[in-house]
Amino acid sequence: MRKVLWAITLNTFRETLRDKLLYSLVGFAVLVIAASLLAGSVSLGQDARVIQDFSLTAMLAFLLIITYFIGTQLVFKEVERKTIYLVLSKPVSRETFYLGKFLGLCLTILVAGLIMAVMFVIVLFAKTHSVPTAAYFAAGAVILEAWLLTAVSLLFSSFTSPLSSAIYTFGVTLIGHGSATVWLLSQKASPVIRTILEGVYYIFPNLEKFNLRNDVVFNLTPSASQVGLILLYFATYTVFLLILGVAVFRKDEF
Amino acid sequence: MSSKSQPFPGVWKQIDLKKVTIIWVLVFWGLSFVGQINYDSWRRYSPPKLSGVDYNVYIEPQPLSPTLAKAVSFGSTEFLADYYWLTLIQYYGGGTPNGKYRKLAELFSLVTDLSPKFQQAYQTGLIILPGEGFPDQAIQLGEKGKNNLPDSWEMPYYTGLVYHIYKKDYVSAAKEFQIAATKKDAPPITQYFAGIYYKEADQRQLAYQIFKTVHDTTKDDFVRERSGKQLLHLEMIFFLEDAATKYRQQFGRYPSTLQDLVTKQFIKEVPVSPLGVNFVIDPHNGTVSESRK
Repeated sequence: MRKVLWAITLNTFRETLRDKLLYSLVGFAVLVIAASLLAGSVSLGQDARVIQDFSLTAMLAFLLIITYFIGTQLVFKEVERKTIYLVLSKPVSRETFYLGKFLGLCLTILVAGLIMAVMFVIVLFAKTHSVPTAAYFAAGAVILEAWLLTAVSLLFSSFTSPLSSAIYTFGVTLIGHGSATVWLLSQKASPVIRTILEGVYYIFPNLEKFNLRNDVVFNLTPSASQVGLILLYFATYTVFLLILGVAVFRKDEF
Repeated sequence: MSSKSQPFPGVWKQIDLKKVTIIWVLVFWGLSFVGQINYDSWRRYSPPKLSGVDYNVYIEPQPLSPTLAKAVSFGSTEFLADYYWLTLIQYYGGGTPNGKYRKLAELFSLVTDLSPKFQQAYQTGLIILPGEGFPDQAIQLGEKGKNNLPDSWEMPYYTGLVYHIYKKDYVSAAKEFQIAATKKDAPPITQYFAGIYYKEADQRQLAYQIFKTVHDTTKDDFVRERSGKQLLHLEMIFFLEDAATKYRQQFGRYPSTLQDLVTKQFIKEVPVSPLGVNFVIDPHNGTVSESRK
């Protein structure tokens, strides 16, 4: 099973590498990170700050776009091209197929994220001759967030069209980052609305947990317990999404 | 292109379509470039196009409300703060507003709402805003800065300057400088300035105490020398006012000039201030002050 899983993972990774969209997205992200040097030069001495904020936000934005546009198409393409019959006719369980797709895209995101992170570190180091430790943690958290949203997009794409699942995943991202606002709203609302909003707060992923980007400019390195909690939250929520996704995918009829 | 459908088939054959395309691309690119430059200069430097307005609406940024900006930032509030920071710099440095930079205070407020610890934004705002007609908003910004950056001596220091220069409120300025002086890394002269402001506000005893503390505790030679002179200056004033009170007890009125105190032998001579200013007395209430002449 492990061998099959690895084969599907690697195959998915290769498949995404063949997608020209990936190259243009990574290329554009690298360009934006490099361009933050220019933005920094007109910021009244706030170069380091601008480079850090622009680069980390560009990383997040482009990794999320990869998730939305490539992640949502992975399963759909297999079904549309009917290649899924070939795979599933072999001794490959649906669970393995689903997990392989997830891990393959995670690998793609990791590689793309690392390319962007390396560019970010080069640009920042070239300008300021130092890279705060917090920047590495923030970049890592961005990749974790993209991985979690990959699980979300895969879940949606297992029962709806790529466009719809991209829109839904975007919605989850928006709610996930607005979790603090949702909580504040719930505390001011009437009891019924409050229950609904609190439900939204607890059900949707709290993506702000992965947001270490705002701490980088002040070089606030997260504590070990904070990092531990982030990893634990990521692991539990992703496993929850994968179990849910597998359950839906198992019932799918092609 | 078929030769039958064209009126001049020979001509079309001779024209290299690829070259024509390149020429057209260049022509239209050039036109759009010139158009863009003209549009920009018209937008920035021409008088307002709307009647009855005294600002240039065309260069005015339209910032989102802080709540909306936070909601659409996907958590990247520092990034959005940077974006508005760059917008602010472009707005303030990019051309004439034909009147007031109406959005300046709003932009500073938004940037510091999105990034509450953005020290440079507070400092720039405290320097720029009062001069552009927003002294009250500058003081609000200073208050926000003091709350969000409680260890910064710059926040109360700069706020104190706004009170001094634009509000002429010396007591508030002195209070801000006293707060600034308690912060780590505050320049030694900060408390000295607090003394100056209290003196300006006619709170001489308070000013005296501050100068005394500064003089006795500072490690900075310049500050010690200046505060020593201020102490001597104030002691002279107290001395002259004391003599004037005795004069009144004897003659039922205050002296008309300080020279009267010498003439009636209350003092040997009118002291010379180490600050290089002359003293004058108010004959109505006996208050001694510096001559402004």
